[in-house]
Amino acid sequence: MSATPAHNGHTAGPDRVWLLLALLLLGGCALPFLTHAANRLLTGHGIALTALPGYLPWLLLAPLGVLLASPWLPDNRPWHWTRLLATILLGNALPWLAGSSARLLDSDAESLARISFGGGFWLLLLGSLLFYMESSRRLALTSPWRTLLTLAALLPAGLLLASGQLNQLSLLREYDNFRDSFDSALQQHVQLVVLSLLPALLLGTALGLLAFRLARLRDWVFPALNIVQTIPSIALFGLLIGPLAWLGKQLPGSGIAGVGMLPATVALTLYSLLPLARGTYAGLQQVPAEVRDAARGIGMTGWQIFLRVELPLALPVFIGGVRITAVQAVGLAVVAALIGAGGFGAIMFQGLSGSALDQVLLGVLPVVALAIAVDAGFKLAIAWLDRKNHDRHF
Amino acid sequence: MIDISNVSKRFQHSNAVDGLSLQITAGELTVLIGTSGSGKSTTLKMINRLIEPDSGSIRLAGEDIRQQTPEVLRRRIGYAIQSVGLFPHWTVEQNIAAVPTLLKWPAARIRNRVTELLELLHLPAETFRQRYPHQLSGGQQQRVGVARALAADPEVLLMDEPFGALDPVTRGSLQQELARIQKLSGKTIVLVTHDIDEALQLGQHIVLMDKGRIVQQGKPESFLLQPANDFVRDFVGQSDAGVRLLGLTTVASRVQPTARAEGEPIRSDCTLREALSQFVSRQVDRLPVVNEQGQHAGALLFCDLLGGKAS
Amino acid sequence: MNKRSLLSLSLLTLLSVGYAATAFAADTIRVGSKIDTEGALLGNIIVQVLEANGIKTTNKVSLGNTKVVRGAITAGEIDIYPEYTGNGAFFFADEKNPAWKNVDAGYQLVKKLDQEKNQLTWLTPSPANNTWAIAIRKDVASANKLKTLSDLGRYISSGGNFKLAASAEFIERPDALPAFQSAYGFKLKQDQLLTLAGGDTAVTIKTAAEQTSGVNAAMAYGTDGPVAALGLVTLDDVKGVQPIYAPAPIIRADALAKQPRIAQLLAPVFRSLSSATLQQLNASIAIEGKDARKVAASYLKSKGFIK
Repeated sequence: MSATPAHNGHTAGPDRVWLLLALLLLGGCALPFLTHAANRLLTGHGIALTALPGYLPWLLLAPLGVLLASPWLPDNRPWHWTRLLATILLGNALPWLAGSSARLLDSDAESLARISFGGGFWLLLLGSLLFYMESSRRLALTSPWRTLLTLAALLPAGLLLASGQLNQLSLLREYDNFRDSFDSALQQHVQLVVLSLLPALLLGTALGLLAFRLARLRDWVFPALNIVQTIPSIALFGLLIGPLAWLGKQLPGSGIAGVGMLPATVALTLYSLLPLARGTYAGLQQVPAEVRDAARGIGMTGWQIFLRVELPLALPVFIGGVRITAVQAVGLAVVAALIGAGGFGAIMFQGLSGSALDQVLLGVLPVVALAIAVDAGFKLAIAWLDRKNHDRHF
Repeated sequence: MIDISNVSKRFQHSNAVDGLSLQITAGELTVLIGTSGSGKSTTLKMINRLIEPDSGSIRLAGEDIRQQTPEVLRRRIGYAIQSVGLFPHWTVEQNIAAVPTLLKWPAARIRNRVTELLELLHLPAETFRQRYPHQLSGGQQQRVGVARALAADPEVLLMDEPFGALDPVTRGSLQQELARIQKLSGKTIVLVTHDIDEALQLGQHIVLMDKGRIVQQGKPESFLLQPANDFVRDFVGQSDAGVRLLGLTTVASRVQPTARAEGEPIRSDCTLREALSQFVSRQVDRLPVVNEQGQHAGALLFCDLLGGKAS
Repeated sequence: MNKRSLLSLSLLTLLSVGYAATAFAADTIRVGSKIDTEGALLGNIIVQVLEANGIKTTNKVSLGNTKVVRGAITAGEIDIYPEYTGNGAFFFADEKNPAWKNVDAGYQLVKKLDQEKNQLTWLTPSPANNTWAIAIRKDVASANKLKTLSDLGRYISSGGNFKLAASAEFIERPDALPAFQSAYGFKLKQDQLLTLAGGDTAVTIKTAAEQTSGVNAAMAYGTDGPVAALGLVTLDDVKGVQPIYAPAPIIRADALAKQPRIAQLLAPVFRSLSSATLQQLNASIAIEGKDARKVAASYLKSKGFIK
């Protein structure tokens, strides 16, 4: 791999991808690593890496040096592993450095002053993430190994978080203040996603199936679902309040209500229909016609063709659709807070209206983490299915 | 075995099959041949009710095929198609076992049957049993397709251009294979093709169709010796008719057991067409012949190609 | 998993959701509130006072914006939530009525209207006034001796340095900035205004505190927490230009009939919530970042309303 000029774009100079990422890291070093504010509402003043107390920042030098020199280092497996290791070191050193510095700068857990991550921290984190992704891509690691490695790479940061080393950082102080809300937000958020996905799975799959079987239905199912998809989420939540409240009035004691969990779930279900129906439809459509003919020709009944042939062959594409839908639902559930369904959106919107950026972050980061976790889970499941199907390729 | 009587099928703008009547004899390999749109494939698919005729009736072993549900009927009839249509998510074994599984055969019987069929089609069972279709060559896939069609020992085997997508070498060997299996099992086979050479080589009874009707039917020789009209003459290829005729007869029927000749021997199961090619390319007038076991069997004389001697 | 079990599973889930909702609805008081800081504070105060006195509640605090919460109580989906007297002007499309600018008259008017039209009962209000106000940086105020909006009018008219951060609504609504301008005799030029999206006073106050784009004054609410904490002072509306926005719990008449104690339980609590007290409590939520639930609990304990 290393010596082939084609990989380096015909010029023998430094690898451009690595160069770009190294520049990103360099930019991260130049920007303020932390910010220090008098209280959680105010914008803090920046603290540069070099201005951090004590010898701590120098510990970044080794992994940072490897990555910055990366464009000129050989493009082969041992060096890719070296890069990977450096990104893991750097990625974990960043929060550790931020947490330790915050403790040195302000050890009073009750003070109003807040120390938050600065632009430099985020840029360095982004840089190590991209370095990590590019190295593992060049190492051509397969899906389950990649996931396991990522989990291992995140472990030190997780331990750091659990140990309380980071508690003086504003984000963690927000967490400490909103611990109860955070836990119930997590529960509500997961509940929203699961409760909307279950009926959506049923309905969306059915719609996809019907659209596949009946061409006439397809001509309006997908346009209709497309329209639903284009309604802004806040508007859809709002639109549902009226009819659901009316329904609740007509059926007293039914528990149907215009605000809260139910309309949020209904709205999320509606949003989930299109990707699910489309995934089902696409999955069925890519089943080769001759396979279906053969199944009919050897005497399978309609149900047997569906269950034994179409379903298993459509499954990988279908699960891909479920994956997109689930990730989308995790993100959309944020808006549910606006009609009283809670979830991480509640924390986020509270932070937004109170102009407290770290509280916003406290609401947003878990959503991102949740989305990534859901995505990774489905990717693993798809990899497992593909393996089970012996890497079928058409 | 199959009695098609006055069957018509109309698609949107044309008559696919137009008042067709045809008897298919048990134990014979009948070839339906014609250009595309001649109605040959439609006829085949009406036999296992993949297409329902507008009028007329079809009887299988004396019984109207409408007496049974299509699925039950199809499980009695083997079916192989051009693009094979193997189930990509199933192993070779599972593919071959498809119909027996639908018929709920016991597992051990299915397994034995799969082994038997793989051996019959020259696919070593232990090597191929667990493979997936994408791991097979085109010819191997088609063999599995044929094995699947034969799995439940059907009374009738329907084949819709089964070798159409294969290269000439693979096609040739699979054609021989099919002829062998047909001889061995005595199955009633209906095969659809547009390839006249395939029809002449495999067919015991050939039905030439055009515009949904039968133009001529009969033994292969009759198409070459007594074409019914210009359409048939064009279809079988007038200029090559003589050579094709030679293709219908084997060396064994013309060999002189006592004659001797020099050079590389040809096998007695070769066609006279192949022998002619050897005469011309070697520039000789006699060829040594060995039998199927490779033993000396005499010689073939160029003058005997014209026939008569065998009687 | 086959189709049938998937189906029954989903139905079961849906049923249980509905069931849970009904179970709650039957014999508890459903407490709602708006999604902002003060809404969360007052909502939690109501929940905790009721719970401490043995009345079961369903917590629907921080339900949504005014429209959502108002819709929820009129649809019978919540039983009680804190609202502001001045908002009666908009609920009943009666902006011109001078009653809204008087503490008692405004309260009596909205109480009467809501009782008649919506069977909603207004309970004892707090003496605080969370109306629109203009807050200015302390340094500017003390250097120029600005205490009231009249002082401000004089200061601006005499060419004093002034730039206001506000929401578009505040700038455009006839009863907001235009009303202040005509009553106190000043006129802000376009370059003396910074329009911020949304109506969040936390953002306007922050802008003034940090002097972003030369802003030194901010749209604020009477009980905003961050005003004092970020070094601003609110200028008094001596002419009473703005309607009075006194917070009070409003409750569905049928819920009150079932639990008449609620009126007596909440009255002393709301009476104790002066503007200064609310500012302080709001500040500890906004500035210290404390959970509204905890702030409510520690206040109620310190005053002896709950144990």
